[in-house]
Amino acid sequence: MSPEQQKVDGFRFMPPGLAAWVRTFIPEKEFEGPIPWTPLPKPMSRLTFSAVTSAGISQKSDPPFNMEREKKEPMWGDPSYRALPRETTEKDIHVNHLHINTDYIKQDINVMLPLGHLAQLEKEGVIGRLAPTSYSFYGFQFQSNDFLQEAFEPMSKRMKQEGVEAVFLTPA
Amino acid sequence: MGLAGRYLEEKGFSTVVLNPTHEFSRRVGIPRSAAIEFPYGRPLGQVGDWEGQRKVVLKTLEVLEKASKPGEVWHLPFTWPEDPKDTKWMPPEMSPVIKLYLEEIKRARQREAEKAKR
Repeated sequence: MSPEQQKVDGFRFMPPGLAAWVRTFIPEKEFEGPIPWTPLPKPMSRLTFSAVTSAGISQKSDPPFNMEREKKEPMWGDPSYRALPRETTEKDIHVNHLHINTDYIKQDINVMLPLGHLAQLEKEGVIGRLAPTSYSFYGFQFQSNDFLQEAFEPMSKRMKQEGVEAVFLTPA
Repeated sequence: MGLAGRYLEEKGFSTVVLNPTHEFSRRVGIPRSAAIEFPYGRPLGQVGDWEGQRKVVLKTLEVLEKASKPGEVWHLPFTWPEDPKDTKWMPPEMSPVIKLYLEEIKRARQREAEKAKR
């Protein structure tokens, strides 16, 4: 495995029309601007992790992500977030997302958000720690970046409070 | 999720995106990408396949550890066992934005088909 290998086709699972449309948003050339970068501060075995998915996962005790407004306003996506305690399993969650089939996540949260795996890797000493809290937001953010302030600012503050150093991100 | 990765790196977190469409890094500039050729909604693997999911998690962590400069895309060596049309990853109802842009989507497909002929 190396960064030079070119073999994953990120359009393979899209129907051809959708793939053609999505490609109109993606330049052919590599990204040229600056990219923010935080080097790993310590070895993996001492790092504290959190995980974030865009799959619209909420605890059953929390309000679900708002799908009704998006059905009326197709360009709008819920910009909020939900905290998910590290013990969260598929039994504890609602999954709301209008762009994917959510059935698989409801059967096994680890297909989308690897809480069980990160807890196990903590136990084995592969990673330092899984923080008390992981998170979900809602990935359809088509015309606005408000979700960064509404979701990621408070999330990142809580991550700092919990000593998080590295974040495992899983887009839906 | 690319923008989220950028935001978190700016705030001092090291991040890795397990990305089913790594091509978005060309638009957004994602700090570290682990590209995976798996259907949407299941980037870690199949329901109940603990060992398979674990391999994907470990490889993604390897990308977090080994990526040496911003913007690197590492291609993970995994193959989904089903044909794309059998994966049923799409929602039961067409999403609102797709309904809204249906004509534009058809035109994008036609343009690609014409370009391929030339």
